[in-house]
Amino acid sequence: MPNLYLRQTARRRWLTLIAALGLLVAGQLWLQLNDRQAFMGVWAGLAWLVHNFTPDAAAWHDLPTITYQLWRTIVIAIAATSVAAIVAVGLGLAGAATTGRIRWLRGGVRLFASVMRNFPFVAWALVLLFSFKQNDFTGFLALFLMTIGYLTRAFIETLEEVGGGAIEALEATGARYWPIVIQGVLPAAIGGLLSWVLYMIENNIRDATLVGMLTGTGIGFTFDLYFKSFRYPSAGLVVVTLIITTIAIELLATHLRQVLTH
Amino acid sequence: MLTIAGLNKTYPNHKRGLEAVNVTFAPGVTAIIGPSGAGKTTLLRSINRLITPESGSVRLGDQEIRTANAKALRKIRHRIGMIFQDYNLIEELAAIDNVLHGCLGGKTWLAGILGHYTAAEQARAYELLAEVGLADFATQRCADLSGGQKQRVGIARALMQSPEVILCDEPIASLDPASTQAVMTLLGDLAKRGIMIIVNLHQVDIARQYADHIVGVNQGRIVFDGPTAGLNDAALAAIYAKEAVAEDA
Ligand SMILES: Nc1ncnc2c1ncn2[C@@H]1O[C@H](COP(=O)(O)OP(=O)(O)OP(=O)(O)O)[C@@H](O)[C@H]1O
Ligand SMILES: [Mg+2]
Repeated sequence: MPNLYLRQTARRRWLTLIAALGLLVAGQLWLQLNDRQAFMGVWAGLAWLVHNFTPDAAAWHDLPTITYQLWRTIVIAIAATSVAAIVAVGLGLAGAATTGRIRWLRGGVRLFASVMRNFPFVAWALVLLFSFKQNDFTGFLALFLMTIGYLTRAFIETLEEVGGGAIEALEATGARYWPIVIQGVLPAAIGGLLSWVLYMIENNIRDATLVGMLTGTGIGFTFDLYFKSFRYPSAGLVVVTLIITTIAIELLATHLRQVLTH
Repeated sequence: MLTIAGLNKTYPNHKRGLEAVNVTFAPGVTAIIGPSGAGKTTLLRSINRLITPESGSVRLGDQEIRTANAKALRKIRHRIGMIFQDYNLIEELAAIDNVLHGCLGGKTWLAGILGHYTAAEQARAYELLAEVGLADFATQRCADLSGGQKQRVGIARALMQSPEVILCDEPIASLDPASTQAVMTLLGDLAKRGIMIIVNLHQVDIARQYADHIVGVNQGRIVFDGPTAGLNDAALAAIYAKEAVAEDA
């Protein structure tokens, strides 16, 4: 299930990128139709970007700072996802049709998950900034709140894949609720659950960068700082390390996921 | 002795499941037969209260099941094993883990959660797997077993409960003839050892071959109850009769 979903997400990501580039070019063409100069401007802009953002010797000097901030961002993303995952298992069990014993709670959990999921994390970050000011905890909380919504929804579906028949068979042995959940339901679902957690960690490292820009923490803030102080080569180095890290983590996560689900 | 008296079950959609059912199950193999929708599954699941009938009584020994409280119900369920048409195992776990699940009902809450099985229980689980002919498959994931093998794991799980009764809802409906024979023979052997076997079947010939007693159900009522030898053409006609009046309409 998650695998199919992931493949679709990857394809959607590429399609979005291509569509965005297409729109950009189309927009340029539409605004300055027949203006070859403007069209050339795109290339000139790109050339400027490449020229200015290529890390230089001074930028390499910033590498320790950058890797440290990147590390902090990764830790926050993993921490937020892990804590959210623990809460989401509880919510998932309460919300799944097969394991949720209280009808109004099932509905409540689903509603909660859907509200949390549809409230963008950028909005979370901005709201939380007011109450928690600029610090790591604000970023952690913003990611945590958004992840809870996603994971609860995904966990409900994963847990429901463990058939009601298998659960009923355990009930028929006279086993109680929690032994059934812990000895039966969770072992059956664990591969799928962890697979979702890995996927969220991967996503959250990317999102943490953006959250960091808003909450003034981690690698996002570092990028913002370099960018606003015109230290483009250093900002470029941030982008390069980010790209390398996210690709590495995506590869690692894909590998782990394969190990887990096979 | 398992005694059912005056049992009624109507589903929330007003479908009649059982109507004034009286039947006493004796030791040995009892086959419940009847047309589709007759109420065989409803009757079987009323015994361990996976379905709760509105009125009547189901007694195992001197324990009333229909009105038992949660704790008493768990205790009595532990004395009754059950196997299913679709096996209902935890497919991701090994055969031995599924067999061990059979003793969860007899454990304390904490031991159940921790999955703490005694050495004796583990030895017994291996023994039971060997008994159903799966000694070499103990650590195999159930998802990788054949249908017949899965059903035998299901039987071993039921036996792990040391049950007085085993309920079987169409245990062979998804099996080929060879596996059917293996499973039915196994159930017959268990009956000889004193475990009461109650089995829902679709095939009359299988029922005739393996059952000691037959209970015939039609439209939620018992229309035949007697030794297999008494299952003559008239009895079969009654069991599989379509009701002349379109009562469902
Ligand atoms: N959960 C349910 N909700 C509503 N009606 C039900 C439910 N389960 C069974 N019924 C109805 O109760 C009647 C008896 O069903 P039951 O499943 O006991 O029949 P059965 O003899 O086991 O049939 P089959 O041989 O097809 O398994 C049928 O009319 C059926 O439609
Ligand atoms: Mg049935």
